[in-house]
Amino acid sequence: NGSGLGLGLDEEVKIIKKRQPVAKLDETKLLSQAGIPKLRFKAQRKLHFKGKGHEFSDAARLLNFYQLWLDDLFPRAKFADGLAMIEKLGHSKRLRTMRREWIEEERPKTQSAD
Amino acid sequence: DETAFGEGVEPVDLEVRAHVYSLVTALGGFNGEDADKYVLGDDALACLRDIKRWLRLYDQKNNRMDVARCLGEANVINGDLLPILAVWSENERKSKHLFRIAMACLELLVPLTWPLEIHGETTVNHHRHIPYLQQAQVSYKRRFLSRSSLDLLRTIIRIGLPSMAIPRSERTGRDEGILRIMLYFFRNVAVITPNARLAAEGEEEETSRSATINAFQDQDVFALLLTMCSNISDDFNMFDVIILETLFHIVKGVNVDKLFMDDSQRTAKRTDELDGLLRKEESLRKEYAKGAPTRHGRFGTMIWVKRDDAKVSTVSGQNVLKDGQTTLHKMDQSKKWNKPQPRRRQDHPSIKNDFSTPVHLNSEASENLRKFVEEFLDSGFNPLFTNIRKAIEREADRVLDENSLHYFYTVAWFLEAERTRRFRKRQRRSQDGKPAKETEPDSFGLVASVLNQETFVFLNRSMQWSFDNKDWEGLNAEMRCFTQILLTVQEMALSPLDEDQEIAENTQNRIFYEGTTHDRMAAIMHRYKDQGFGYLDACTELCHVFLRMLERYSKENADMQVKAKRRTRRKNKQAEATGDENNEEDHASEEEDHAEAERVSKERKFDFRKFEQKFCTQACVDTFVSFTKFYGELTEEQLKRAHRYFYRVAFKNEKSVLLFRVDIINLFYRMIKGPGAMDSSQPIFREWEELVRQIIRRLMKKLEQRPALFVELLFSKINSTASYLEYGHERQTVSTA
Repeated sequence: NGSGLGLGLDEEVKIIKKRQPVAKLDETKLLSQAGIPKLRFKAQRKLHFKGKGHEFSDAARLLNFYQLWLDDLFPRAKFADGLAMIEKLGHSKRLRTMRREWIEEERPKTQSAD
Repeated sequence: DETAFGEGVEPVDLEVRAHVYSLVTALGGFNGEDADKYVLGDDALACLRDIKRWLRLYDQKNNRMDVARCLGEANVINGDLLPILAVWSENERKSKHLFRIAMACLELLVPLTWPLEIHGETTVNHHRHIPYLQQAQVSYKRRFLSRSSLDLLRTIIRIGLPSMAIPRSERTGRDEGILRIMLYFFRNVAVITPNARLAAEGEEEETSRSATINAFQDQDVFALLLTMCSNISDDFNMFDVIILETLFHIVKGVNVDKLFMDDSQRTAKRTDELDGLLRKEESLRKEYAKGAPTRHGRFGTMIWVKRDDAKVSTVSGQNVLKDGQTTLHKMDQSKKWNKPQPRRRQDHPSIKNDFSTPVHLNSEASENLRKFVEEFLDSGFNPLFTNIRKAIEREADRVLDENSLHYFYTVAWFLEAERTRRFRKRQRRSQDGKPAKETEPDSFGLVASVLNQETFVFLNRSMQWSFDNKDWEGLNAEMRCFTQILLTVQEMALSPLDEDQEIAENTQNRIFYEGTTHDRMAAIMHRYKDQGFGYLDACTELCHVFLRMLERYSKENADMQVKAKRRTRRKNKQAEATGDENNEEDHASEEEDHAEAERVSKERKFDFRKFEQKFCTQACVDTFVSFTKFYGELTEEQLKRAHRYFYRVAFKNEKSVLLFRVDIINLFYRMIKGPGAMDSSQPIFREWEELVRQIIRRLMKKLEQRPALFVELLFSKINSTASYLEYGHERQTVSTA
C-alpha cells in the first residue's frame, strides 16, 4: 500500500466539539445596556406608584418590574436566585465604584460642594 | 441471614466468632424440664469475665467492634444476662457468688450499651458494624424498659445500694467503681434512641423518651438521682458529670411550657394546636382552590404576557388568568434551573447531643417528669450545678469537652422550668382568689447557684471560646443559658422580697457593666452563616432579650457606667512610626506594652443609642431575615421577636434603608399577600401587616426623592452612601446629647 508512508494521512482527525459556553450573570452582563442602565432608564419612566393606601399593590408593581427586568437580563434564573447572585456581585470593587457614581450623579451639586 | 449480605462476605473473623459463641453457650441456658428456669452454667462467672476480657483486649485494643457484634448476634443480653440478673434478684443477695455474677453481668451491659458515634478515628470496620449495633441497642433498651419481665432498673440499683450506703471516706475503689458503672448504665439507657435513618423495627413508643421517663419513675431511678444530687458534694463528688449527662439526655428537647401545664390545660393546648394546624391546612387548601383550574386538565388555556419592546412571553394554564401576580409567579416557577447551593457542611456534631429537635411526651410521662423536676429544683439543683461548674473549671479528669454543652443546656432548661413553675403557681393562686400577701413569697434561692459572679465569668469565657473556635453547638447552648439567666434576673427584680431585688440589681449591674459582653453580642449577630435553625433561634432570642433589658435598665439607671477597652489607636500609630528603626527585641517589648495598654480598660458613660447602632447593620438585618424566612413554621413569640427587631431598625433608629433590598421586600410582601402568606386570623398577622405597610410606604417615598435607590435596591448598602440614601445628607458627627 503506497499511500501509507507513515505520514499519518490515513488517520482520522479527531474533532473535539467544545461545549457551548453557559451564559453567566456577571459584572459585565450586569453593567451592559440590558442591565442596570436599562433598569435606571425604565424605572423612572415606567414605574408610577399610587402612594398612600395602595402600599401592597405598589409593592407588587415594584416587584414585578424587577422580576421582568431580571427575566430579560438573565432568563435562566428564578427571581430569588437572580437577586441573590446580583447582590453578591454588588460587593465587587467595580460595582461599588459604579454604584457610588450613580448616587453622586443624582445628588445636587450644592450638596456635594460642601 | 448471612447470605443476605452476599456469600463469602464475613463481617467478623470466623475464629473470633467461634470463640465468643462458645463462651456465650457456656454461660447457661433454660433447663429442659423446667423451661422457665434459667440454669447457670458451671463456670458462668469465669465465662462472663472472659467475655469482658474479649471486649477489652480484642475490641478496644484493636479499635474494632467485632466482639460486640458477635454478642449482639448471639443475643447475649436478652438471652442470658437479663435472665441471670433475674435469678439473682429472686435469690435476693443470698450468696456472694451470685452477687459477683450479677456484678459481672452489669459490667458487660455497660460497654454493650455504650453510645456509638461515628467520630474521627473510625475505620471501615466501624461503618460496617455501627448500624447493626445501633439496632441491637434499641432492642436491648426495649427489653430493659418493658414492664413484663423483671424490674431491671431497680435490680441494677440494688446492685449499687450496698456501696452507696457506705460513707465516702470508707468506700473502697471497688465500691466507687460499682457506683460508676451503675450510673453509666442509666446514662446509656437514657442516651439510646432509634436512629432515624434506620428502619424502625417494632413499636417505637416502647423505646421513646416517654417510656424512659416512666420507667425511671416507676423503678426509682429518679429517686436515686435525687438522692445523689442533693448529697453530691459530700458523698458522690465523682459522679456529678455522669448524673449531668443523664439529666441532659432526659430533658433535652422537652418543651418546658407544656410540661408545667396540668392535664386540662395541656388538652386545651393540644386542641388549640390541632385547631391551628387544621386551620392552616384549610387556608392552604383555600389558597390552592383560589387559583385552581375550574375546568379539566386538558382545557388548554394559554396567555401572552405583553412586555416592553413588543416582546411577549407565553404562560399556559387557566389559573394564570386570574391576575398579573399569579401569572408572574407561574412564569418564575416554571424555570428549570436552580442556583447551585453551597454544599452543606458534613461535620455535624453529634446526633447524640442534639437538643434542638422537639420531643413529645405523653401525659403520664409529663406528670412523672414534672414531679421529678420540681423535686430536683427543690433539693438537687444548687449542689449539683455548683459542683459541676467547679469540676469543669478545674478541668478535672472526669470532665469531657462535651460536658460543658450539657452543663449550659441543662442549666438553661431548669431555669426556664423554675420560672414556669413560679408562673403557674401565681396563676393558680390568683385563680383560687387568695390575696398574694397571705402566702409567703418564694425566694429565688433555689436557683441561686447559677446566678453568681463565678458562673458569669465561666459563661462569658465559654461563649468567647466557642465563638472563637467555631463550636456552634456549644455556643448555641451557652446563648440559651445566657438568655434564661437574663430572664430569671429580670423576674427577680420584680420579686416582692427585698433581698431578691437587691441581688437582681447587683447581677444586672454586673452583666451590663462589661463592655466586652456587648461587643460579643454584636459579633455573634454579625457572624451568622448557615449554622442551622436551632442556632438562629437561640441567637435572635438572646439578641432580643438582651437589647430590651439593656434598654430598660439604662433608662432606669441614667448614669450607667460601662467598662470598655481604652482606645490605643494613637499609640499604635506612634509605634508604627518608630517601630522600624528599633531592633527586634525592642519591638517585641513594645508590643507587649501595647497589649498591656489595650488590656487596661476605662469606664465610660453608657449610651444606649450608640450601642443599639451596633445591631442596626446589614449583617445583623441579614441574620434576622434568614430567621424570618421560616415564617411559616415560627411561633407567635418568634414572629414577634422578628417584628420588634425590624421595627427597631426601621423606625426607632431610622435605618430603614437597610431593609430596602428587593429580596427583603419580596419576603415581606409574600408574608402578607402570598403565595404562602401567614395565617391572617392570628393577631400577630395584623402587627406584621402594619409594619410591612409602613416600610413599603417609606420605601415609595424614598424612591421618589432619590431615584438612585432603584439601583441600590438590588444591593446591600455601602456605609458611605447609606446615610445619604436615608437622610439625604452625609452623616453628621454623632451627638451624644
